[in-house]
Amino acid sequence: MEKSAHLEAKNLSVSYGANQAISGLSLRIPDNSITVIIGPSGCGKTTLLKSFNRLLDLGDNVQVTGEVLVDGENIYSPTADVPGLRKRMGLLAQRPCPLPMSIYDNVAFGPRLHGLRSKKDIDLLVRRELAEASLWDEVKDRLHEPATRLSVGQQQRLCLARGLAVRPEVILGDEPTSALDPVSSKKIEEKFLALRSIYTIVLVTHILRQAKRLADYIVFMFNGRIVEHGPAKEFFENPKEDLSREYISGVIS
Amino acid sequence: MNARHRYKADTLFHILLNTGVVIFCIVFATMIVTITMKGSMHLTVELVTQVPSDMYFNGGPGGVLNAIVGSIMLATGASILASTFAVPIVLYLRVYLGKRSFFASAIRFLMDILWGIPTIVYGAVSVIILYGMKASLLAGIVIVGIIEIPVLARALDEVAQLVPAELLEASYSLGATRGQTAFKVLFRELLPGFISAFLLAFGRGIGDAAAVLLVAGFSDSIPGSLLEPAATLPVSIFFQIQTPFPVVQERAYATGFVLMIIILCVSLLSRLFYSRFSRYQVNK
Repeated sequence: MEKSAHLEAKNLSVSYGANQAISGLSLRIPDNSITVIIGPSGCGKTTLLKSFNRLLDLGDNVQVTGEVLVDGENIYSPTADVPGLRKRMGLLAQRPCPLPMSIYDNVAFGPRLHGLRSKKDIDLLVRRELAEASLWDEVKDRLHEPATRLSVGQQQRLCLARGLAVRPEVILGDEPTSALDPVSSKKIEEKFLALRSIYTIVLVTHILRQAKRLADYIVFMFNGRIVEHGPAKEFFENPKEDLSREYISGVIS
Repeated sequence: MNARHRYKADTLFHILLNTGVVIFCIVFATMIVTITMKGSMHLTVELVTQVPSDMYFNGGPGGVLNAIVGSIMLATGASILASTFAVPIVLYLRVYLGKRSFFASAIRFLMDILWGIPTIVYGAVSVIILYGMKASLLAGIVIVGIIEIPVLARALDEVAQLVPAELLEASYSLGATRGQTAFKVLFRELLPGFISAFLLAFGRGIGDAAAVLLVAGFSDSIPGSLLEPAATLPVSIFFQIQTPFPVVQERAYATGFVLMIIILCVSLLSRLFYSRFSRYQVNK
């Protein structure tokens, strides 16, 4: 049975100048599950991920054709509400990047942008989101210290809390554990597994074992195209394409 | 080239660099010591607490309080005015224009040219444009403010270019617009850089004599309103050193010493603010 999807790419192509990063890609991301995009370096994984919240068009010389549909609406149409769209797509970057403010203000930043004013509501929300990201106990006594004083692993959980605070529908993760130590990585992975029943999660990773641990659904990309996609179990146990088999066994990486 | 040659060349460059540093230190120290010695010797309470009497420039009693107050008012006003233009320019360059934007390079190039134009030219041009207008503190603030814009903007722009793109992306992905990202995230990150740039512009403003002589004029009293002419320290020094009286010329050194102390105080103050404002900075 196919799960419903409110995130979908249709015939999407992206190029940086003369360099084609994604060519004619179509994909439906299933709701309330973890979709992991894998593939060798430079295959277009991150480009695909960033096309989902339109961070791509910030770069110079980027051409996007085709459609990305969120709830059936093309986010690349000229009338699309881009900030409103990005609010619905939480992003967890490769390196955690706290905002230049306190731990408290980092979490409160998004909700304040979108109109939350009451001090009491913000206090509650900050506490709830930090707890959600398993960070509350570590920071509850120093909420007003600069976020940069946290360790890198803590910063990444802070970024998760900050993203969750604006109530996104989708969480996009761009190799979110690649800068972290094993213990912190594990904590983030546990968070993803806990969050998948509520959110649609799309992750990019180059670690095959991580993909096996987390994925419900696998998208395997090579040279800007999807080679194979399907339920994770099926993909790892019985890959249909030769390229997939080679990638899983480590022949290409 | 063999190793012995490379080491010799390295030693030569090392000596050249050291010589350069030593020469700079000697010149700099000579200036500071001369102004301090000659200046502090003739510095009196009267000089910094009184305005000049009618006979001041002939050796009569009085001080340069008018110029101290005038200079501080003018440089502060001009720097604030320049900030209100320069900060949005810099935020616009970083947030709205791409790194390879032709328009952005054109703006930077233009500002480099403006930075290099002697201030007397600004003064002369404004005298032509504002022909018939009386010299005043307000005119001085406006013209010196314009002179300071490229200084402030370019200094701040250098810092803004170093801010990682990830920081802006983090803000965008929370649903922030470009404007919100510019003022609420980028500007906070740039605050320490802004303090340094502000100081640089303030220094250029308070040290300028050529343009203010033309547009702010000179007066023996403290300006009572923005529309009255104002005295400034550099112009005051110029007038004092020009007189044939050694007594007045000595006061010029004392006035220079006062100007130096003011700039020193502003620098120290900005250092103090710097550590406060860099508390939250991400890209240290």
